[in-house]
Amino acid sequence: MRSRAAAQTLGNAGFSDVHSLEGGMKAWDGLVAEGIPEAGMAYFLGAERPEELIGLSWLLEDGSGIFYSELAKVFPEVERQVFEMLEQAEGRHKDSLFGLYQDIFGKVPDEHFPGSVLRDMPRERVMEGGMSVAEALQWTRDKDFSDVLELCLSLETNSYDLYIKMRRVVDDERAIRVFSSLAEEEKQHLKRLTAILDERLSV
Amino acid sequence: MVKMGLHDYFKPVSTWSVEKVRELVAERDPGEYVLVDVRQPKEYERGHIPGARLIPLSELEDRMDELERGKPVITY
Repeated sequence: MRSRAAAQTLGNAGFSDVHSLEGGMKAWDGLVAEGIPEAGMAYFLGAERPEELIGLSWLLEDGSGIFYSELAKVFPEVERQVFEMLEQAEGRHKDSLFGLYQDIFGKVPDEHFPGSVLRDMPRERVMEGGMSVAEALQWTRDKDFSDVLELCLSLETNSYDLYIKMRRVVDDERAIRVFSSLAEEEKQHLKRLTAILDERLSV
Repeated sequence: MVKMGLHDYFKPVSTWSVEKVRELVAERDPGEYVLVDVRQPKEYERGHIPGARLIPLSELEDRMDELERGKPVITY
């Protein structure tokens, strides 16, 4: 079993606190992220300054918010409420980003944010998880609620994955803070989304 | 290069249950632990635990310095 062999190797090399996951990935029943290790990072490529990272992240959250608000328009009452809730959560994430900007720079972003902090605006609207909003909406066209929720979970999980990785690769203290904060929020968001999906699937 | 004798090979490895790791991932800050996927790239791509790094087992010996010491390391 590879994971035990790996733990063995690390233990022998002096790593003192090593553990192998029992059953490996096959046994994992938690969140699953997809994609290559660098997935999504290209979006942030070229952005070094914290304000750019905040601006780009804000755009992702904004994209997700638009996605959810469009879904709320096509689903009936009970399901609509779920998407409205998700849209509101994105709004709060955006507020957090403003708060973070303020903590770092001592003032709120100006009215031209994020254009004012980005060198170039991305060509199309992208949402968390890296999909274009248009593409994601196209995919949901004739899918049922559970399928759509699974897509949402998948995209948000990939987003969480990305924020954790971005935090690892950036050097700037302030950039680390941006991604730590985003990862933490995404984690909470995912808990909520998972609870909704579980509830929905058990009906 | 650390030599592994026969008795080392059979030294018990600590295993953590899925519940325990899921709780770790759900509750702790990602900076507090190290999660390493030691499978092949295609397997990682198809699905991995969020935040996990990929170091295929065959590369682990050479790349273990990428992993921080002093934090729990979970391999899968």
